[in-house]
Parts: sequence; C-alpha cells; structure tokens
Amino acid sequence: MSLLRLVPRQLLRHPLRTLLTIGSLTVAIFLLCILRSLVTTLDATATTARNDRLWVQSAVSLFVGMPAWYPDRIAQVDGVQSVARWQWFGGYYQDPSNFFAQFAVDPQKVVDMYPELIVVEGSADAFVAGRNCCMIGRGIANDFGWKVGDIAPITGALFPHPDGADKAWELEVAAIYEPGARNFDDRTLFFHWKLFEETLTTPEDSPGVGAMVVRVKDDVDPSVVMGAVDDLFMDGPQRVQTTTESEFQAQFVSMFGNIPFFVSAIGGGVLAAVLLACINTMLMAAREQRREVGVLKALGFSDARVGSVLLMQSLFLTLVGGGMGMLLAKGIEPGVVAATSSFMPGFLIERETYLMAFIITVLAGVVAGLLPAWSTRKLTVVAALGARD
Amino acid sequence: MRGIAFSYHLRSLFVRRSATFLTVLGIGATVAVVAGVLALQQGFERLYTDAGRADLAVFLRPGATGEGDSIFNRDRGRRLINTVPEIAVGDDQQPLASMELYLAVRLRRVSSGGETNVPIRGVQPATFGIREGEITVLEGRQFRPGQDELMVGRSLLGRIRGCELGGTIVLNTTPFLVVGIFESTGPSGSEIWGDLDRILECLERTGPSRILAQLKPGSDIAAISARLKNDKVVPAQVISEKESLSSQTEMLSAVLKFLGAFLGVIMGIAAVFTATTTMLAALADRTHEIGILLAAGFRPVGIALGFLFESLILGLLGGLAGCLLVWPINGIETGTTNFQTFTEVAFGFRVTPMVLTVSILFALVLGLLGGGLPAWRAAHLAPVKALGRR
Amino acid sequence: MNEGILLQGVTKTYSRGGEELRVLDNLDLTMDEGRFYALMGPSGSGKTTLLNLVGGLDLPDSGSVQVAGQDIRSLRGAALSAWRARSVGFVFQGFNLIPVLSALENVALPLALTPLSRKERRRHALAALDLVDLGDRAGHRPGQLSGGQEQRVAIARAIVTDPKVLLCDEPTGDLDRAAADQVLALLQRLNGEMKKTVLMVTHDAAAAARAQRIVHLDKGRLGSIEEVQAEQAAGAKP
Repeated sequence: MSLLRLVPRQLLRHPLRTLLTIGSLTVAIFLLCILRSLVTTLDATATTARNDRLWVQSAVSLFVGMPAWYPDRIAQVDGVQSVARWQWFGGYYQDPSNFFAQFAVDPQKVVDMYPELIVVEGSADAFVAGRNCCMIGRGIANDFGWKVGDIAPITGALFPHPDGADKAWELEVAAIYEPGARNFDDRTLFFHWKLFEETLTTPEDSPGVGAMVVRVKDDVDPSVVMGAVDDLFMDGPQRVQTTTESEFQAQFVSMFGNIPFFVSAIGGGVLAAVLLACINTMLMAAREQRREVGVLKALGFSDARVGSVLLMQSLFLTLVGGGMGMLLAKGIEPGVVAATSSFMPGFLIERETYLMAFIITVLAGVVAGLLPAWSTRKLTVVAALGARD
Repeated sequence: MRGIAFSYHLRSLFVRRSATFLTVLGIGATVAVVAGVLALQQGFERLYTDAGRADLAVFLRPGATGEGDSIFNRDRGRRLINTVPEIAVGDDQQPLASMELYLAVRLRRVSSGGETNVPIRGVQPATFGIREGEITVLEGRQFRPGQDELMVGRSLLGRIRGCELGGTIVLNTTPFLVVGIFESTGPSGSEIWGDLDRILECLERTGPSRILAQLKPGSDIAAISARLKNDKVVPAQVISEKESLSSQTEMLSAVLKFLGAFLGVIMGIAAVFTATTTMLAALADRTHEIGILLAAGFRPVGIALGFLFESLILGLLGGLAGCLLVWPINGIETGTTNFQTFTEVAFGFRVTPMVLTVSILFALVLGLLGGGLPAWRAAHLAPVKALGRR
Repeated sequence: MNEGILLQGVTKTYSRGGEELRVLDNLDLTMDEGRFYALMGPSGSGKTTLLNLVGGLDLPDSGSVQVAGQDIRSLRGAALSAWRARSVGFVFQGFNLIPVLSALENVALPLALTPLSRKERRRHALAALDLVDLGDRAGHRPGQLSGGQEQRVAIARAIVTDPKVLLCDEPTGDLDRAAADQVLALLQRLNGEMKKTVLMVTHDAAAAARAQRIVHLDKGRLGSIEEVQAEQAAGAKP
C-alpha cells in the first residue's frame, strides 16, 4: 500500500519536531515504568515471602519486647520445629544517617531457617562459631568497605554499649551474604544473641525478646500453630501476634499508607502531559497536511485511508518513543535497584509493567492519531484545497 | 533596540490557541505534579516545624536519636527534674516538667481493618501546664490521673478503631476508655494521650522515654546538655522541642524533595520538548512575517527576544494552570508513616506561598528553555530566504 | 445514453455569514463526450462550483448531475470516492502535488486504489510521466521542479488511471505564458489523441481559445456556448 510510504516522509518533514515528540514519550514512558515498579516492588516484598516461617511479635507494639521465657514455651507447641530469637538493634555506623538493619539472632537457627542467605565470602560456620562474629549483606560490605575479618563498629542508639554511649559494639565480619530471593535485602547485619545478651548488664536495658521466627514442621498446617501460639499468652503477661512471614512483611508495606496511591496519581499526571504532547504534535501535523488530505480525497481515497496516514504517523511516534522509554527503564533498572535497596529491596520492573507501558503507548498513539484523523473526516475537499498552508 | 510589540506575541498565542492550550496544559500537568509533591512535603514538614517551641527542653538518654529509642529510669527521671535549676516553676511551686512515655502501639484502621502504628504518649499532669493553649479538648474531658482513661488526637477520629468518645482501646490486656478528643498543633494531633503511670504499668515499660520541661527565660539549652551529658547519676542529652520535632522530618522531607526534583527534571524534559515543538510551529507559521520585519530593519535580537517572551508567557500560563490544578488538594488530609519514628502521622497537603512560587518559577524556566531554540532560529533567519517562504 | 456531462436543473446555494448565496441557479447544460470545453465567467459566476459538482467533490441542492453515464447524486461516501478515482482526473491551479513524494510517486498515488501490482503501478506511472515528457524527472521532488513541470506531473497523475473526464481548475493560473502554452497543448493532445472529455475553468481568454467550445456562465446561469473556430484554435498553437 503505497499510501503508507507517506508516513515516514511526513515525519521526516520536521525531523526536530519528530525527535522532540519521541523524546517526550521516551521520558514519560520511562517514568511510568519506574513509578509503577516502585508500587509493584512494595507489594511483591510481601507476597514473595515464605509461609512455613511464622513471626511472633508482641501484640502491643512493634517496639515492645516479649518476656525472655517465651521462646522456650513456644518451642513446646505442637508442630513447631524450632524457634529463633530476633532483636532489632537499631544502631548505626559512625553517623545516624548510615542507617541499615542489624539484628541480634540465634546464629545457627537463622542459617538453618534461611536458605535465602547465600554466603559468598567467609563462611556461615565461622559466623556461627565466633561469639563476636557477624554476617553482613553485600550492600553494606560495599558501602563501608568491610571485608571478612574486619571489625564493624556499630554504635547502639537503642542499646548503648555499657561502657558509654559513645563506645561502639565491635563485631567481626565472618561472612558476607547475597540474597537468594527478591524479598530479601542485602543490607542487613546479623550478630550473636549471646553477645547481645551478655553485654547488656542492667535489667532495665534488657528488652526481652523482640521477635521470634518459628519454623513449622513440614506436615503441619501453619494456621493451627499460629492460633495455638496466640492462645498461649491471651491472658498475659504480654499478648503476642503470630503471622506468616508474608503478613509480617506486609505490615511494613502498609506503613506507606497513601504513598502508593500518590505515586499512581503522579503517573496520571505524567500520562496527561504526554498525551497532550502527542495530540499537540499530531494536530500540528494535521494542520500542515490539510491540503494534502484534500488532494488524497479528491483522488478518491476514502476517509479511512486518508485518516490512517495520520494515525500511522501518530502510532509510529508513540511506539518508537514508548519503546525507547521501556529500553531506558530496562537500562537504568540496576541503578534504581542499588539506590533503593536500603528501604525497598528487590526493585524489579515486572513484565506486566512493560505490557502496561506498551498498552499506554498504543493508546496514546491511537488517541493522538484519531483526533486529527477524525477532524479530516469532516473536512471537505473544497475546504481543504481552499486552505492556504 | 527595536522589538516587536508584545501585543503581537500575545495575539499570536491566541491565534494558535489549540497549540497554546495543549502546551499550557502540558506544562500545567508537569507543574501540578511537582507542586503536589512539594505540597505534601510542606504539609509534613510544617506539621512538625510550626509546632515546636524553643523554650521547651527535651531530655533524652545520651546516644538516642529521638524519643523512640530513648528510655529513662522513672526514679532517676524524677531526680533529674528536681535537680536542673533552669526548669521553670509553675503557680503551684512544682517544676514545669513532665516525664513522657512514647510508644507506637498496634491498632487497626477503620477503613481497611489493617494494622498501623499509632503513637501513644503517657504524660504527667504538669504537661497540661506546659502545653497551656496548645492543647484544646474538643469533646469530652481530659483523662484523670491514675485512671484507665485516654484522650485521642482529632486526626485519629474515624481513622483508627476505638478512637471515638466512649470507645475502648486495649493496651496489652487492659481496656482503656476514651474520655476526650483533643486538638493540637503539630504531630501530637495524631497521638493518644493517657496517664504515664497507668500506661507504663499496662505496657510493662520500665520508664519514660523523655522528659519535657519548660525552661526559665534565658536558659541556655546547649549548656545544660553539655553539663548533663556526662552526669554520673542521670546522664542526658538536651535539645529544644523545636529541634526535636524538626529532626524527625529530615528523612521523609529529603525523600519527598528528591522525588519532587526527580519528577521535575524528567517531566520537565517532556514539557520543554512540547513547548519547543509549539514555538517551532509558531516560527514556521510566521517565517514570512519575520522576513518582512527583518527587511524593515528590525534587529534579529529583538525578534529572538520576542519569541522568548512568547514562550515565557506559555510557561507562565502553564504555571498558573498547574497552580490551579494543584489548588484543590490544599488541606486534604492524608497519612503516612514517618519512618524516623515508625508511627503513622496525619497531615494535610499545604499549598504554601513557597509551593506556588517554586511552581511559577519552574514553569517560567520550562518556558524559557522551550523558547530557546526557536528564538535562536528566529534570530538567524536570512531575510531573503524568509521572504521567499510562504 | 450520453457518455458526456449532463446537468439538469442544478441549483446550489451556500450560506456565507448568514447570507444565502445562490451560486448555481436551475442550470441545464450538456457537454458532449470527447470534447474540450472551457468554462468562463466573472468571479462568483459559479465556475468552480460547477467543476466541483461534476467531479463529485460537492453535491447539488437539487437537480441531477450525470457524468459518463453515472448519476452522481445516487452515490455517497465511499462509493462516490471510488467512482471519482475511476472516472475523473483533477488538475488544480496550485498543482497540489504531495511535497514529500517524488514525481513518480505522486503520479502513482491514484493507482494505490486499483488492484494493480506494485510493478504494474510503476510501469503505468512511468508511462504517464513519459506522456507529459517528464520521464527523466521521475525521481525529483515537487520542490525541485518548475511550475510548468509540476503542473504536467499533476496532469500525469490525473490521467494515470485512464479516466474519461479531466477536470481542470485554472490549470495555467500560476504559470507564465510559455509554461501555460505547454500545459494547454498537452491538454489538447490528451483530448485529441486519447479522447478525454476535458472541462477547464479559466478566466484567461487565450487559454479558453485553445478549447473546442467555451461555456459562459453568468450569476449561476448559462450565458452562451461558443464554438471555437478550428483554425483559431490551431492558430493559437506556438
């Protein structure tokens, strides 16, 4: 169909305008991909977690510990294989802005329960063996230049060292891990519960147990165990709340409140801006091509075929722009992963996001193309040819 | 220098009104997004910074980054209050100081039924003396000391289960009765308040998080802090309430500012491209006219400035459109977690003069950038060639 | 059945600025097949409107228009477009070539509406260009051609589908004398050798004299039909 030959020719008539329009679309589609991925990554954090691991926390508050005898009691519940203690340490390296997660844990149990922790330097055994040893994620190892054998000095904001608030807890790096699953970040430090417990001397400093991870036996229904654990402490001294790991992580996601909604709203703004840009370009193109539309109609081309020349131009612009936007997003993905890993591990642009971007691209092309195409329908040959370009 | 009358350019924008309209809306959408994020940031930051008082001292455990990770022994806290001479004395000859427990408790949202972290504050009676005029009980009454009673901040009303007059909030195993609803400037409008000792006991806490004290006029907080830092009995770090509050906004404020700048740059590129396209079309339409003007002796610089002016007007209109678009969100209440305190705070979008100024300036910059290339081209048209084009 | 152009009781009004303007008023006109007509008349006499009606670009308010045996009023939309593509060729004052296409592509454009293969389309288009003596300009864009050459490309485009009727609206209006003569001679040749019915609107008496008959319109009515003497037409040849 030789009319299609007109499409690239018309676009090349104003190469700069074509480039600018494609550029607008590129950045807009890029932005949409990134914005949507922020939201989907947040959701995925919660949905990809394992469900044979249960988390026991205080039902009162995230920040309240449970009595120290709770783990032993829970270990006696039917169906429970093992119980690991976790305590949020809340420290920092040198400056409070160097923020990352540290947990005091039962080392052997964590290594057993979390096959997702893949040790790439040092060894898990060395971590388990040394009382003042720690295991750190690749991300913090890179950030602070820590290697196996180094001492990581962590200032305890929540648990000051008994020798003075200025004194750091000195932990020897025995293993560096990389996450083997998307929901895991690479910016966590694990150290020995024993060291933690024994360093804190005064009773008022002792937090009890912050949280516990319960590994359920293979053939047991986790929900039964969850109910049994909650019931144990219904009358005190402190109620607990047992959830699957995914629910546990979901509570952090829900903390973002309306933020995902705002991100979507921003996406709407981006969409509106880019649609306007496309329509603007296509209306200009249609205005310039008015006379040619008249000629084609006079020659006997149908409205649909004449309109399709405009529609194709529009689709070409959006598809090239959208495609480049998606490529840009794909190319920049590793950078975003690195930039967001501290608060949002596993940033990923999902296939659905690309699909959505593609659909938006096509729709923008159709809308921006149909508008001028439709207006040429009503344009009579007489009027079109009378028009001075 | 002779330029073309500005009315000529205004008329040109009107003649090409569909392109003008689309471009203005495009810039407007960009500006509105950036302004919206800024309004969110302003609402959040102003919530903290508007409320903080410089004459209130906050005593924290040394090394603590905020009241969330600070803890005092109750008896030593009492002792500290009695031994710091800078603390003002009230009408009843008691020090104007209150020990406060601050903790985020798990409560459920009304809407989704999901859990959220609501800050609860256990206070002593002196608090009401210190906070006179800042805390207003809207409905019901204040809680009574020693009773299992609470009053809730107005922002929690309708958002958190149990937060209504006569409602019940269970802390661990003890039910507390909501006897009042209060309004407060600042983040405490999203808090639940009750009696310090009852809450300490029910939540099995060993002591308060901080001590809030009103200082005598002229007291030097830095000096008190330096003196108490290495105190053998009750070491403490001291900052003003103002500082304490604004330090809690740093993280989210920085994130929102970064988000605004990021969106501004990316969407700004698209908006500049649109403006350039529009102005190039305006130039193409008027090439012949410009040839006439050049032939008549108008200087290219004047013509280029005219195009920049036209493009600035586009930017200005876009900025105004953006402000109009973003205006309706002013005051809309929203909530998110302040990850520095891990508690949910409610605040309104605030389209402040700063937001409007930044929006308009941003839009003008977009217009200026969009007009640059067309203006340069206009200035470099050869009169003969321009005249030849129809 | 008249294979030429037959207008009966044709009336056409336009409203301009709220004012009814009767451009053609109950016009009866018969034009024979295979003849070369010039259509003359002062501004506003309805020449171009008549041409548009014959070409199916516009429809009369009342009356009938028959072209090459087809009643145009019975056609609508796509059918009218298809008929136009098959039966009439247009030549405009402003040439109206598509600037982004080469001369050959411009000529081949109407063939996109036919079932011809790509190769055949190219062959037909080249033949049409040869006919107007521009075979060597096939690859040029309109901007690279002179006005006379552009108009000849436009004529090649008008005849490439081999329509019976050629409608020309001031085809020499934008051309100098020499170029105009070339175009008029070409139209005469198409009429003489290929038996095209040619209807040419013009206000130029010299151009009109190259036709076989001159139709004079006045205020939407038929003025007179003037036979041009054969020697006069021949004498005007360069």
